[in-house]
Amino acid sequence: MSIDFKETTPATTETPRKKKRKIKIGHLVINFWLIFWAVLSVIPMLWLVLTPSKTDREVSYKNPLSFASFHGYVRAWKNLQDFNSGVLARWVLNSITYNLAIVLIASVTASLAGFVISASRIRFKKAFLISTLIMMLVPPVALVIPLFIEMNKANLVDNPMSVVLISSLYPFGAFLAYIYYSSTIPPELYESARLDGCSDFRLYTKIAFPLSYPLLALLAFFAFVGNWGNYFMPYIMLQSPTNYTLPVGLGALFFSTPAINPGNGATSVPILKPEIALAGILVAVPVMIVFLISQKRLIRGMLAGSIKE
Amino acid sequence: MRQGRRYKPKNLLMILMLSPYLLLLFFFGILPLIMAVFNVPSKSPSNPNGGWGVIKIVFKDFRLLPAAEHVLGFMALFVPLMIIFVVAMSLMLDMNTAPWKKYVRLAYIVPACVSGSVAVLLWYALLEPTLSPFKGIMHWMGITQATQIWKTSNLTFILVFMAFFSLAGQWILIQFGSLQSISTEILEAARVDGCNQFQLATKIKLPLIRKYVIYMGVLVFAGGLQIFVEPQLLNSSVYHGIAQQWSFDQLSYSLAFDNGNFGEASALSLMLLIPSLIGALLVIFKTDMFEDVTLKSPKKMHKEALKREAAKA
Repeated sequence: MSIDFKETTPATTETPRKKKRKIKIGHLVINFWLIFWAVLSVIPMLWLVLTPSKTDREVSYKNPLSFASFHGYVRAWKNLQDFNSGVLARWVLNSITYNLAIVLIASVTASLAGFVISASRIRFKKAFLISTLIMMLVPPVALVIPLFIEMNKANLVDNPMSVVLISSLYPFGAFLAYIYYSSTIPPELYESARLDGCSDFRLYTKIAFPLSYPLLALLAFFAFVGNWGNYFMPYIMLQSPTNYTLPVGLGALFFSTPAINPGNGATSVPILKPEIALAGILVAVPVMIVFLISQKRLIRGMLAGSIKE
Repeated sequence: MRQGRRYKPKNLLMILMLSPYLLLLFFFGILPLIMAVFNVPSKSPSNPNGGWGVIKIVFKDFRLLPAAEHVLGFMALFVPLMIIFVVAMSLMLDMNTAPWKKYVRLAYIVPACVSGSVAVLLWYALLEPTLSPFKGIMHWMGITQATQIWKTSNLTFILVFMAFFSLAGQWILIQFGSLQSISTEILEAARVDGCNQFQLATKIKLPLIRKYVIYMGVLVFAGGLQIFVEPQLLNSSVYHGIAQQWSFDQLSYSLAFDNGNFGEASALSLMLLIPSLIGALLVIFKTDMFEDVTLKSPKKMHKEALKREAAKA
């Protein structure tokens, strides 16, 4: 615990030993608090991961952070699979396919937009950037009702295309790509390639794209993390249970089974707390894995355009 | 000028490459707003003759004031709590040079994976005295029944905890990242001048990360104003009636999908969009957060990036 704590304040009546002790206590308090918050951050996820190992009765009576058996996970998984003729598998598949499509469309369109803004001399660049920044800072929830009206007019309600298309608008990604291309590829490189007869499309495919793999990974990461757990948009747009995503399906499990609210009445297959927790794991764990692997990228990305390393 | 003309046909290709994003921006960013504006004066059950009088009707809706009270109460607690806690924690984390710091950072990111329906499930479990991992503490505090916690009067605090817990960790890491970007020369100079750690934090680091704190404040404010998923799920699935039209967005949702009143719902959505837009414009034009990227040319940005690389080396 080698904390660099140079004390260079003017001399006081305190002896150096007293001062040192005060600093040590200060560090101890800070370290304790940092670790305490870390433990507190992990406990709920730990509960979620351990709950399917127990039976519904054990969930209430056993130690909440105890492990019962691996058989519990198998039982909960089987029950979930049998629920509503295996609709859970459909939700998993929907989540994967919708997210794949969103990640692909969003990353490609954002990367192209960022490249064009950094490498071209098109008009209204500033207006475009400012509108992108505005879209980036306005929470997507604010536009849900207007978007529903639009999708309704386009006959796309209850069609997965509505969720895929809406979620593929990725202003943050376009902005990130613009920053990346502007600060990593020298404009002189584009100019000399142009003089050699390179078309703008080839500029992208032969110069910018091969140099932007880290950017594409970052774009895909943020697009995935932002959309995998999204509840509101698919909840509004998709009405048939077979079209649901996992988070919306989890919400449906809340109000159609007695797992959380016993007043909902029994289901043909026992969907209780362990089953609900397992469904929760399916939603949370993919994001957690991606987050843990890429936390440094998250920080750099969130501060894109403003952080000076 | 001449060069611009020479590349004119090539710009067409650039515009074509930009068009997929532009189409998405137009159809799912700008057009819905235009449609919402046109939809406001349309005929609806509460506004049979149509017209902009619907805004007055929204203001007179008996559910609007309680929703405003709930959301403003929520924001009054949530926004300052987030800002103070996140800044304090990131400063503490930045001060600490222990090798275990990276594991602590990993732990802080875990709650960020839990949002929407999973967050509701977790908080239901955390606050249920028979299920909670903290049931020992709850029993010690005399809380043995769920009804002692799950009531409408407590909902503001429950939702503040939920939102705070989900978001604080990732913002701590982001602010920590901004603190890490402060030049070591500045910090060294301040130390030589006699700054202790507290003075260093309050007089040097905090002013230098001010714009990131404002950025966080605006995003947290705009997000908090649009709270929907948590109260909606709690109300519809966990405790029926506990959060009926509790927030603005729930009211807007109820107007649209329970009452079929899309005119009023659009009017409310647009009214809610205004503070978010003002916040966004404030961040863009009144802080220097995005000054570099909106005003500087890519050439200048690239030169600066090179300079930074050289300084690092």
